[in-house]
Amino acid sequence: MFRSANKMISMILIVIAIFYLYLAFQIPAFATGMFTASTMPKAAGFLLILLSIFLFFIKEGESEEDQEKRKEAGQHIFYLGGVGVMILLYITLLEPVGFILASTIFIFLCSLFMGYRKHIVNAVTSIVFPLTLYLVFTQLLNISLPPGILPL
Amino acid sequence: MGTFDGILSGLSVAFSVQGMLFVLIGVFAGTFIGMMPGLGPISAIAIMIPLTYNMEPTVALVLMAGVYYGAVFGGSTSSILLNAPGISGTVATAFDGYPMAQNGQAGKALAIAAISSFAGGTVSVVLLMLFAPLLASVAIVFGPPEYFALMLLGLTAIASLSDGSTIKALISAVLGLMFVTIGMDSQTGTTRFTFNNSNLLEGIDFLVIALGLFAIAEICNLIVNRKKTIKNQGNIGSLKLSKQDFKDMSGPMTRQSFLGFILGVLPGAGATIASFIGYITEKKIAKRPEEFGKGAVKGISAPETANNAATSGAFVPLLSLGIPGSGTTAVLLGALLVLNVPPGPLLIEEQPDLFWGVIISMYIGNVFLLILNLPLIPYIAKVLLIPRPMLISLVIMFSMIGVYSISFSTFDLYLLLAFGVIGYLMKLYNFPAAPLILAFILGGMMEESFRQAMTIANDDLTVFFTRPIALSMLIVALLSFLVPIIRQKKTTSA
Repeated sequence: MFRSANKMISMILIVIAIFYLYLAFQIPAFATGMFTASTMPKAAGFLLILLSIFLFFIKEGESEEDQEKRKEAGQHIFYLGGVGVMILLYITLLEPVGFILASTIFIFLCSLFMGYRKHIVNAVTSIVFPLTLYLVFTQLLNISLPPGILPL
Repeated sequence: MGTFDGILSGLSVAFSVQGMLFVLIGVFAGTFIGMMPGLGPISAIAIMIPLTYNMEPTVALVLMAGVYYGAVFGGSTSSILLNAPGISGTVATAFDGYPMAQNGQAGKALAIAAISSFAGGTVSVVLLMLFAPLLASVAIVFGPPEYFALMLLGLTAIASLSDGSTIKALISAVLGLMFVTIGMDSQTGTTRFTFNNSNLLEGIDFLVIALGLFAIAEICNLIVNRKKTIKNQGNIGSLKLSKQDFKDMSGPMTRQSFLGFILGVLPGAGATIASFIGYITEKKIAKRPEEFGKGAVKGISAPETANNAATSGAFVPLLSLGIPGSGTTAVLLGALLVLNVPPGPLLIEEQPDLFWGVIISMYIGNVFLLILNLPLIPYIAKVLLIPRPMLISLVIMFSMIGVYSISFSTFDLYLLLAFGVIGYLMKLYNFPAAPLILAFILGGMMEESFRQAMTIANDDLTVFFTRPIALSMLIVALLSFLVPIIRQKKTTSA
């Protein structure tokens, strides 16, 4: 199992490196001389291929703990994916809806989804935190955050 | 006016009621701003500039010095408590600070950070007083070849930043180098790997990668373990340090005060490199290096001492040459010019009260920082008692606002999420994230100095071997890379 994990990662990395190198060779060289804008990318790309080949062949034991870690992550994939989707929605709504509203909805729903059952505490926190941060950033520190649809 | 008179008049400025008051305000505001996601010393000082327009220059600078120190310290709290380093200088603090906090010793971790910061800051201010003019001349001897050698030396730390496979650590570092090449090339203006996306022209911001790989990846871990709680909750805010803890701290505090200061003097090197090199040297010379990464006292003390010492070091080229060595000191230079104080070699001669006043208030700032922060630690540490389901959503929001407040683009937020996924996969497959972030931080400067050196030397690589400082750093770099690998090979074959 562990050897195939290393082999799989090694193959993925080699594909990434080849794609990266393909792009690196397209970088136009404006400067004369040996070392141009594409020198370091090329070096990095070849180095990644070389290291991935090493990775393919090393026989490295993994503890049971490591394998357990991955099994556990697999069991929670619904929750990991769920939070991921919520973050995506949060980012998408941030500018149109505004920081305060988007954050309030996000904190409330995400905490609920994670199993937080004290709804009143949850509601208060999800309103107070974003509101305070919004005021600190916009009023005290002069850093603007999207106001969105709220009349601020 | 001689040096002694200068120091005396500096003392009178710093110890005036007004001076003390502004140091206090500065330290407090700096700590507060530093704790905010995404805001580090640069933003803290930039925010203060408009307030100082009508102030007397000395008082304004005293305020800035306080803000600077406060922000550096404030940044370490989110590193320790949430594994969310807001600025690059505190990434290394998270390596051992976060594990210690997770063991229920958050208060202790913060206290070690505060005391070490104090030591680093204090010792380096003394060094600043003694060696400022002398060191300034060393800093200008550093040309591109020396910088390249220094960055390479920093990069060789990769091998010692991983506990498991060296290959995986190296792969992680190469990925860091690849990420740093994204964006517009600083020398030729050529775009690299931007896919015609204007959001990528300026490259990926450090904070996106740091918060993604550390904070968001750790959130995934918390989601999986959301029903578990932190061990030993009762002691979470306790500041109690044992005799052994102080003994463990004394070594790193002494050594890293000096080393951090020297690295801080070099323009461009700064607090980040100092904190990494500090962490690594202490791990290398430690009797029990295996404790590092699991909440070692030395692992928090070393980077915290070093980054604060480097902070004072960065004032050397700024005050004595007028050269800003870091983003923060560049903003400070701007502030000095606004105040009509042109820094440079003549500053010490012409305005000794200002020069020494600032230096002495830096010292007072450090004392205030310690007095102010130690009593607050038990309260700050309580952040960890927030129930995990709620902590998860709050840290996500915290990271989002941090990235958004520097780039104002949702594109960076999507990138943050992507790096979170990468970071979590790396965690699951035992690829260390530290080499990636280190290579990302150093890679850009390394490439730039290498190409500058090559331009100056007409593509002649021997330039690195004919300059003594560069050559000796390269030799040390080679040794520090090979020795751990050979040692590891020996232990595995034995």
